Parts: sequence; structure tokens; C-alpha cells
Amino acid sequence: MEYNGGSVIAMVGKDCVAIASDLRFGNQALGIASNFQRIFPVTDRTYVGLAGLGTDVTTLRERFRYRVNMYTIKEERDIEPQTFAHLVSSTLYEHRFGPYFVEPVIAGLENTSSGSKPFIAAADLIGCLNFAKDFVVAGTASSKLYGLAEGLWEPDLGPEDLFETISQTLLNGVDRDAFSGWGAVVHVITKDRVVTRTLKGRMD
Amino acid sequence: MECGVRCPRRRRVRPFCTQTAMYRGPGFDFSNSLRNDFLQHKGVALPKATSTGTTIVGCIFKDGIILGADTRATEGEIVADKNCEKIHYIAESIRCCGAGTAADTEFVTAAISSNIELHALSTGRKPRVVAAMTMLKQYLFQYQGHVGAALVLGGVDSTGAHLFTVHPHGSTDKLPYVTMGSGSLAAMAVFENGWKPNMEVGRQPLSPALPSWYSNDNVRPAVQREEALKLVCDAVAAGIFNDLGSGSNIDACVITATHTEMLRNFVKPNERVAKELKYGFRHGTTAIKSEHIRSLVVSEEITPIRGEAMDVS
Amino acid sequence: MDRIDMDRLKSGEVNLGTSIMAVQFDHGVVIGADSRTTTGSYIANRVTDKLTHVHDRIYCCRSGSAADTQAIADIVHYSLQLYTQEFGAAPPVSSAAAIFQKLCYENKDALSAGIIVAGWDKEVGPSVYNIPVGGGSFRQPWAIGGSGSTYVYGYCDATYQEGWGRGEAVQFVKNTLALAMGRDGSSGGVIRMCVITEDGVERLFVPGDQLPKFWEGHEVLPAAVTGANVIDPVPMAVE
Repeated sequence: MEYNGGSVIAMVGKDCVAIASDLRFGNQALGIASNFQRIFPVTDRTYVGLAGLGTDVTTLRERFRYRVNMYTIKEERDIEPQTFAHLVSSTLYEHRFGPYFVEPVIAGLENTSSGSKPFIAAADLIGCLNFAKDFVVAGTASSKLYGLAEGLWEPDLGPEDLFETISQTLLNGVDRDAFSGWGAVVHVITKDRVVTRTLKGRMD
Repeated sequence: MECGVRCPRRRRVRPFCTQTAMYRGPGFDFSNSLRNDFLQHKGVALPKATSTGTTIVGCIFKDGIILGADTRATEGEIVADKNCEKIHYIAESIRCCGAGTAADTEFVTAAISSNIELHALSTGRKPRVVAAMTMLKQYLFQYQGHVGAALVLGGVDSTGAHLFTVHPHGSTDKLPYVTMGSGSLAAMAVFENGWKPNMEVGRQPLSPALPSWYSNDNVRPAVQREEALKLVCDAVAAGIFNDLGSGSNIDACVITATHTEMLRNFVKPNERVAKELKYGFRHGTTAIKSEHIRSLVVSEEITPIRGEAMDVS
Repeated sequence: MDRIDMDRLKSGEVNLGTSIMAVQFDHGVVIGADSRTTTGSYIANRVTDKLTHVHDRIYCCRSGSAADTQAIADIVHYSLQLYTQEFGAAPPVSSAAAIFQKLCYENKDALSAGIIVAGWDKEVGPSVYNIPVGGGSFRQPWAIGGSGSTYVYGYCDATYQEGWGRGEAVQFVKNTLALAMGRDGSSGGVIRMCVITEDGVERLFVPGDQLPKFWEGHEVLPAAVTGANVIDPVPMAVE
């Protein structure tokens, strides 16, 4: 976790979800890059963020892409975020005794009969799922993010309010973490669109 | 499931295997182990797996089994999940509480639940608790304690009500009342003090001297009378309040020959008080460097091409 | 791993600290065990049944790792059922002991199990086999095992005599186990016994408050000094 650094957070809002991460890629204390994307689209309305060892972030991104493509071909429909969460979980548990050093965060909108429903989940490095109703965090700043999110999050935030809340939680959390920071990116997913914003943050 | 290094065998099956091969065999994949040992040797810290510090309990009463569990999941000193589910489904009349490595309890119970279902289908009989217990102990023994699941297994079958504990190394105990997890000592103290044979889901009212969190709002009145259920709740509560690894709410599950009742968040003694003020941020608080909008609306414009008028005659 | 002993339990493993025993008498065998199962210093089960059925007239007493001994006993139980189906007759105790011994010897690196096999068969009548950690097999007129046994070898050597009947054998087991449980912190609880004869298996139970009593000591220090010689404590001088 501390080898490359990085943190991810996801939050539930009213008919929307947001997922955000920092952009730092380091070699322990040495910063290497400030454009390391660790959040990836899975489907139109589902995103996955991978906090942890850089090499595993890349490897797992490809493995998930492969498995999701296979699912899409077989089922002839997009994978639901909850199904994808279980796919992530079983992929990680397969490596129970030689794990990937990655803590995934999943955020998306579920298709239900009455429209779409926000969904977030997080997993530990061996695939134990945590379905939270409010927010999930992962990465080197997770201990700080837990406290901040616990204080700042409130139910039924609209997309714009949710953007501010998740951004402030992330920015202020990573400012107190030596291994995270160097810019941040936020995705707010709503029924009609996904708004992706890069944030101005401290670069030290 | 296989135990041991799988790579040599896989190599034989598929000589040109790649990381994202199409067909993956069953069982665990040890391909990262060498790299991880190397990284660990270099001083890269292994992230902590979620564990359920946990108080889980079970108790036999007159008509069946009651299982109880707290709902806290921890990652080191951090509470990772404040309301997780630790009572897992095995079969309709067999349930299992899990403590230890959270992923292991989750997957072990899922695997055995699946095998029990297949077993029930192939025998045409309702599954027995001993069958689940034997599957669990043989699975866990095979992995010599490396699959870190500590379980309380309870249920009712054609031979009656049975309650077992299953330890991570694969040993089992059969007892009328059991506790496991880090809060097991606190919970066992309550059982040793209050358990008696043939307890009823009786019509006995709760004693007047109850802790404050047992107030009327918290306990549903319909089940307030149940003596055995109260003992289970007291035992879990002892873990929640006295053990740091356990916390949040009490889940309970009442299993009788005819009916299984899962009482999710049966008691909520630790509800968060409402925030008096809000921390909403004014729009524009966060400085943005760039914005990209990906529209998911598929717009369609229909341009009618002039043709012959429809024949409406 | 250069030693093979009880210390080889993996961390957190459930341990049968244990005092177990089996004695042969003229028409059968008496087996007995304490009832304590521990994980570290915590008693995980205070009423454990360590006398495990493996066939109609063959039982085993388990000591060492609970998981290992249960797994072994399950396999032997299965093998003896298979034996009965194949040969249409009850297996002899020696065969049961041989299966136990084979499992314990061939997997000695992975196991921590000290087992006493005892029972009755029509070939030799009553017999007791001791299978200590490591996978040896020894037929003995009496056998003790588990951590508590070390305290009572002398008692057994001094007490045992050939030609006992059922009553004497039962009393011998009861006394030995009570003494072992008294000295060994990993043993305790109740005494469970089985008397296995041609006619059947009879279970005996001695509750923890009805164990045989022996000399338990009395105050050996002189009575507290009273009277004129007593100097009252004086508060320390403080400036």
C-alpha cells in the first residue's frame, strides 16, 4: 500500500454516486507521477477505483476488463455494479494465499424496476466485500478519510453537493497523508451523465 | 479445491498459459506468492485483511436454536464496517455465524452452503446440521488453519436441534451454548450465569432492571418476551460493550423445526445521534482544473424522408 | 522442527491438554478422560468428550491437537465401517490400532496426536494400545496419556496389579485421573469413563464436585503472632 501510495473514496448521494481518487504515483517517499489514474470505467454507470500497488492496479484493471467483456458477450447485457462487486471479490479471493496488494472501491448506479439506485462497495485485498450505505474509502489515507467522511457526509446530497463533499473530504484527507495527493480526480455518476473533474490541490 | 501449489499442474494442462487465460481451474492461485515474499522481504507492508473481531454466540432452547452476532468488522484498529452481516445462510434451517478473517468466513460458508444445496438435491432429503459441520471441518482441516474461519454452526433437522463450534484448524465441539470470537469470554460469562436447560421462547417478561438501551424504542415489542432470545442478546451485548473488537448492533436468528426467523439489527444499542448542524459546502468551494462531461443520453433525431402518401383508401 | 512433542501446536490451535487413560481388566477395558479443551489459557470446552467411538467395541482416547485427533478418529471410524462391510464381522482392536498407528506415523510431521486405543474383540478379548506422538504402537495392560499423565506415572506404577476386576479398574482410572487433573492446569472438569466388555459399552460420569479426594494440605505456617511482641506499624516520618 505505501509502496506507490494513493487513496480512493466513494460516496452515495440522491440518485447519484461519486467516486474520487488522488493522482499520485510514488516510489515510497519519492513522487514519480501526478497523473496516475486509478479509477476506471467498467460500464457507462459503473466505475472501479483501485488503491494499492501500482503494478497490481494495472494488472487487475486488465483482468477485470477481460472478465467484464466475457460477461457482456455471454449475457448480452451490461454487468450490474453488484454483480461486478462479486466478480471483483471472487477474483481477489482466488489469490487468497498470494494476494494482489489492492483495495478496490466500486461505485455505480444499479438498474432496478423503479429506475436506478446508487450502489457503492469496497473490498479488502482478499475480496471481503463491504456494502456501505453511505461511503467507502481505501488506500494509504483511508484512516484520515474515514474520519472526514464520517463528519462531512450527509444523506440525500444532490450531484453538485455530493461533488463538493467528496472533493473536500478527499483533498483534506490526502493533505494529511504523505503517500497520497498530487492532484485529484472526481467522477459524479448520475442517470444521464458522468461528470469528471480534476481538482486543484496541493502539489507537495 | 486443491491445496498446494497449483502452477505445475496448470502448466501441464495449458502449456501457453497467460495471466488472463480464458479457462481458470478451480482452487486457489498461488502465482503471486513468490513476488509477495520478495516484496515482504524488501519491507513492503502487507495491507491488513478485514477481520471480524466479533462476538458470535449460539444457544439451544426448547424448540430449536438461536444464533446471535454483533455487526462490527475491523481492519487493524479501524472499524471497516459498522453494520456487517455475520450470520450466514447455509440452508433454510441451518445458519452459521462467522468470526476471524472476514473473507474466509464469507467464502467458506458460501462454498458449504452451495455443497449442502447440491447434497440436498441429490439425496432428496432436507440437509442435516452434522453434514454441514463435517463439510466445514474437513474443508478447514485441509487448509491447516490458513483459512481463518471460526464458526458457530446451528440448525434444526430431522434428528433435532444441533449447535456446534468449528475452529479454524478444523476441530469441532457440540455444546448447548457456545460463543466465539474476541468477545467470546464476555459472552460466555453471560451464558454461564444465565443459561438453563429447556429454555422457552416463553412468555416471560424482561426483568425490570434492564440496561438503558433496552428501552421500548429499541426492542420490538412483539418479541420482547422471549427468554432465550434475551439471553442471546445479553451475551452479544456483553461482547459489544466489553470487547473492543465487537460493536454496533445485534443480529439474531431463531431457528425452529418449522420456521427460521432472521432478525437483522434486532437491537440497535449504538445508534448515531443526529448531527445538529450540517457541513454542506457552497457550490464552487472546490477549485476545478478541468471538467469533462460524458453524456449517457442517446439522442435520436428522426428525419422523415418524403415518400408517397400512405394509401388510406 | 527437530522435536516432536506437544509444543508443535500451531498458534491459536485448539488443544486437548488432557489426562487420558485406559486399563485392561479380566473381561474388558476401562477408558477414561478429563473434559478440558483449551485455546491458550481459555477453556474452550469444559465438558468435552475425549472418549471417541470408532466401532461398536472399540474406542479411542484423544490427546494433542483437537483438530488432528478428530480428523484421525473420523478416518479410522470410516475405515472400520468399511472393514465391517467387507468382512462381515467386527474388526479386532489390533486392526483399529494399526490404522491409527499408520496415520500417525505417516503424517508425523503434520500431526500432534497422542492416542490410546482400547476395546474388546473376540480374538483376544480386552486390549489397550498406546499410540504416542510420533506414531509408535504399543500394547500395554494400562496406558496413560496427555499432559496430565506425567504427574501420575509413579502412582500408576505403584498401584496397578494384574488380575483386577471391573470395580478395581474403574476405581484405578478414577483415582489416577483425579490426581492428574489436580496437578495439571491443562486438565480438569469432569471425569468421563467407558467400560467396554463383550456385552456392551457402559458410560460412567463423575461430576467435577464429586471427584475422589486425596490429601489436599492444610495450613503449615505457624498461627499469626499476637500479644505483647507485636509491634504496631508506625507511619513513616514525612517532613
